[in-house]
Amino acid sequence: MPAAAQIRVMVVDDQMTMRSLVRTGLQQLGFTDIVEAPDGEEALRQILARPVHLVISDFNMPRLDGMGLLRALRSHGPTSKTAFVMLTGRADKELVQKAVQLGVNNYLVKPFTVQTLKEKIEAVFGKLT
Amino acid sequence: MTRDVFRSDPAGAKRLHVVQGEFAVTEDPDVMLGTILGSCVSACMRDPVAGVGGMNHFLLPGERENADGGPQGMRYGVQSMELLLNALYRKGARRERLEVKLFGGARVIDGLSDVGQQNAAFAERFLASEGITMTGGSLRGDQARRIQFWPVSGRVRQMALVDPNRQVQVFEAERARAKPAPAQVADDGDLELF
Repeated sequence: MPAAAQIRVMVVDDQMTMRSLVRTGLQQLGFTDIVEAPDGEEALRQILARPVHLVISDFNMPRLDGMGLLRALRSHGPTSKTAFVMLTGRADKELVQKAVQLGVNNYLVKPFTVQTLKEKIEAVFGKLT
Repeated sequence: MTRDVFRSDPAGAKRLHVVQGEFAVTEDPDVMLGTILGSCVSACMRDPVAGVGGMNHFLLPGERENADGGPQGMRYGVQSMELLLNALYRKGARRERLEVKLFGGARVIDGLSDVGQQNAAFAERFLASEGITMTGGSLRGDQARRIQFWPVSGRVRQMALVDPNRQVQVFEAERARAKPAPAQVADDGDLELF
């Protein structure tokens, strides 16, 4: 069982308010190592400079969207196994299927509860301590 | 969901009523978006350069704050704002050009928790934190409002609902819609992929 505090998380969303909500939820679950980016391009730059264990990313973003970020991470050896949870505005079947083809680990439909956030992360990492 | 089903009046104007939890976006200068607000808030947004605009209508039930260990009510507002913003961006709008007017957030009935104040404060805080310009509007107060918004021109008309019975109807309708939403897994449908 991994300790939440040992998992480094990157939260990617163009809305600061949403990033703050996700960060607050993660902190309630025991995560302490959390970094943020407002778009996929900036997230990619930060991740290449310092890898993370988990990316929680919005889909709709300027410059590089969530799908582009996922594709970039999966195609780069050192980041190809990075856990990736996609945030979506609604359960868009085509979007999710495309993300699955690209190797997304899970997805989260907004608005979501902290409990749902926990379940989605645990589905990837196993039960958190 | 970008609504595109309009009612037309004899003069050719097209009208769409935006109910709680919905939003609408249009590039049609003849379209008028309307809604009725008690403690709910609507953001009327437009990008004058892209010639597109839209309106949302959200309800933040105060009694559900922290019910699940997080500010659930706030998420409804965030969700509503995000859906509207993304729809505008898809039609060419840009954040730095957006003009936003906020309406609603009334304390419609004395003696109950002031959900309207929470809504109004959230909406103002959201725009400030996202760096989006608020150009006007009308928040708080103690009367329900009817709002009419022509997104392309930016014209907005506000009418107070002064009939006490009508005010109660608006407030009760909002209360009824404030019941807990089903868990999101219901939205996943047959997307059981994990």
